[in-house]
Amino acid sequence: MKRISLFTICFVIFIACWVFLQFVIGGVISKPIPNSVIGMYMALVLVAILVHVSVEDSRFKEFLRPVYETLVDDRYRVRRLVLVIVIPLLLTGFSYTNLAQKTPPPGDPRDAHPTPPLELKYKDEVIETMQKAQNPYRHYEKDDPETFRSHVENGKKVYYDNCFYCHGDHLDGQGHFAHGLQPLPANFQDPGIIPNFQEAYFFWRISKGGPGLPASGTPWNTAMPVWEDHLTQEEIWDVILFLSDYTGYKYRTFGEGH
Amino acid sequence: MFRKVFVLWSILIGFTIFISIQSYTQDAPEVSAKGKEVYEHSCAHCHGIEGRGDGSAAENLLPKPRDFTRGLYKIRSTESGELPTDQDLFDIITDGMPGSSMPGWESQLKADERWEVVSYIKTFYDGFKERETPPREISLEGKIAYSAESAQIGKTLYTDLGCIECHGNVGRGDGTSAPTLTDAWNDRTWPANLAENWNFRGGTDTEDIFKRFIGGIAGSPMPAFEGDSFLHFGLSSEESKRLSEMENKDEMTPEEEEESGKLYEKMDEAVLVALDRAEGTELTPEAQKIYDDAMKVVAEKSWHLANYVKSLSPEKRPETAIGNNSLRSQYTVEELPIIEDEAWNTLEDSYYPLVGQVVIEPRQFNPTIDSVRVKSFYNDTEVAFLFTWHDRTHNIEVEENEDTGTSYEDGIAIQFPVKPPKGPTDEKPYFLWGGKKPVYVWQWKASEQDKITELTVKGVNNVTVQENQGDLNVKGEYKDGEYRLWVKRALTTDDKKDLQLEPGVFVPIAFSAWDGANGDKDIKRVMSSWYSFVLEPVPSSRRFIYPPIVALLSVGFLIGLRGFVQRRNSASDEAETEQ
Repeated sequence: MKRISLFTICFVIFIACWVFLQFVIGGVISKPIPNSVIGMYMALVLVAILVHVSVEDSRFKEFLRPVYETLVDDRYRVRRLVLVIVIPLLLTGFSYTNLAQKTPPPGDPRDAHPTPPLELKYKDEVIETMQKAQNPYRHYEKDDPETFRSHVENGKKVYYDNCFYCHGDHLDGQGHFAHGLQPLPANFQDPGIIPNFQEAYFFWRISKGGPGLPASGTPWNTAMPVWEDHLTQEEIWDVILFLSDYTGYKYRTFGEGH
Repeated sequence: MFRKVFVLWSILIGFTIFISIQSYTQDAPEVSAKGKEVYEHSCAHCHGIEGRGDGSAAENLLPKPRDFTRGLYKIRSTESGELPTDQDLFDIITDGMPGSSMPGWESQLKADERWEVVSYIKTFYDGFKERETPPREISLEGKIAYSAESAQIGKTLYTDLGCIECHGNVGRGDGTSAPTLTDAWNDRTWPANLAENWNFRGGTDTEDIFKRFIGGIAGSPMPAFEGDSFLHFGLSSEESKRLSEMENKDEMTPEEEEESGKLYEKMDEAVLVALDRAEGTELTPEAQKIYDDAMKVVAEKSWHLANYVKSLSPEKRPETAIGNNSLRSQYTVEELPIIEDEAWNTLEDSYYPLVGQVVIEPRQFNPTIDSVRVKSFYNDTEVAFLFTWHDRTHNIEVEENEDTGTSYEDGIAIQFPVKPPKGPTDEKPYFLWGGKKPVYVWQWKASEQDKITELTVKGVNNVTVQENQGDLNVKGEYKDGEYRLWVKRALTTDDKKDLQLEPGVFVPIAFSAWDGANGDKDIKRVMSSWYSFVLEPVPSSRRFIYPPIVALLSVGFLIGLRGFVQRRNSASDEAETEQ
């Protein structure tokens, strides 16, 4: 049996790496990887292959041998002809599709976690500084479980009267209106949401909604209403209690490391 | 030895099949505390602690959460008048009911928890306990596979059987009775829009649709076909056709009177048999044959009808017009097409889902308009849009109705920012009728269908009708449950309060729509958040110039490379021979 040439091996490894990134990781295991990222990985693979083959002079010669042969050897006339047609065709097609591309839609450089203001406000009333503000009913969890339950129950009612159309019966951001909104409503079942924020942060986002986001977070497109126009402070704190009670996630508290 | 192994394997395979059938259709377990606990945690806020469908969230919902105390279940695999199987209940909990607020619970509750809930729900209605025999399931035998011919037969049946009364001429749920329907709880209900199957509560397969025909949708005005005389129950297809012919005549001859009388008798007989059967009476062999023959005809008609209904809707909800799906207005060198023009059929629809406005009182929790679809052409000076949306009722004025409440005028509004954002980080106006940043709005009302009012809006309470009106050519129409609105405007106008358009620039666009029969008026409406569209620039002519150059250069490079290698080889050969 003829030995497989070093060039073929390298070529196969290169293609295999691409298939692995594009289809195995980017399809079977996880979501598709952006082309730019795949490009970066493939550049690394290419460099690695080139380093490997050029470590020794003889190996490099062995690597280039099939290339030379294809270019000049009379035995490979057919292969040469095929390549001289296929390579320019591919390049031509590539440049055509690039030029004929449609105008790309505007990107969405939205800041997912906008910076809150220094003071927590309800309408114009300052409640406390953002750092110090606490849920005034949280302490009942230890002190008076019965009162705590009644606040959670009230929060549940507030949630189903106002929030669940978008944020969903499962609190997963998949309410029956969610398909009409862009960006999608927050998913409270996501482990990256509740544990990363203080209750005061939630109070701010609920009470001030989309229009209350800072200029640095533009262009906010969120349809989140300004709930302080409709809900009392107590109702907002109660619904915050309900969110963590239902999902089992705990809000971040100060004292924990950043 | 071989026999032993064979027997062992057979037992093993048999057991596996047994297990898999078991898990495929299953009866619910005994009622348990667990079922009650899961129900009260996950279901009671809509369906009520006592299962009456009166949880705290129910007030704002339509369709209402199911009241479990009456044993009326819409989505069943069982015959008319029967309770659902346990598997039916389990499937609804697992998959949810599209088009309503009932989500699927597969992601939240484990299978055994869902089964426990099935058992618990059944305790709300005594009929489940009293049931001695398992419910009779609808037979799917004799399924007629989809074909254009079958759908065509179904289409004729659709008209003949009176489906159009509720579901409308082409199935958009816009029949003449549509605005008057209520369910068994006296709540308002709308006939399904058969062109939007993603809102079908019980699934979109032909089998699903077939089951709704045979078994009906309990508690709703949708009748079951079994034993119903409007289907000429008991007659063969030929007899049914003959009877319709005779009935459609102005006057029947005495012979025809006699003939039709006999057919009526035959129908009555079959309906009586069906009634006996439903009451649990044992049928005589003759009666059984009458019933079987009648059901065979009903099933055949139902399969054709199901194939027709299946053909009315796309396979699934269209992709939303966002990102790469965004609306791209197509350039043309010619005059822009008018509303009737065939040219519109060459474009794909861009689909924008609409949802209830639940931010500002009065809020719309139960929208009846699913979406708006848009197409657009532009040329060097003008742009034309075609907006289409489904609305079951054509309301052009305020109407008082004792049963269904006041209805208002239908309409739509198309909203743009006054100035397109300068870049991706430039803030857009507030999506709902603007705010500090104003929006430019085209407001159209069904009573004046060839007119659009241009508005400048800075929030719900700050609406100004523009002084300069009349830059727009408008034509609107309503037919068979669908509005079509055609708008043409110059790309640029002299009015500073208007949006100015330029090819290649993405412009935000948002929609509001009003279904007057659903109580929509002013701020109570259905709406979308911001999307964007672009006048797609004419593709660059460079695409015909550069690629050939690339081709030539690459061929040249390859030939050059070969020459280089050849020269080097011969040089090194010479060097070797010299050595």
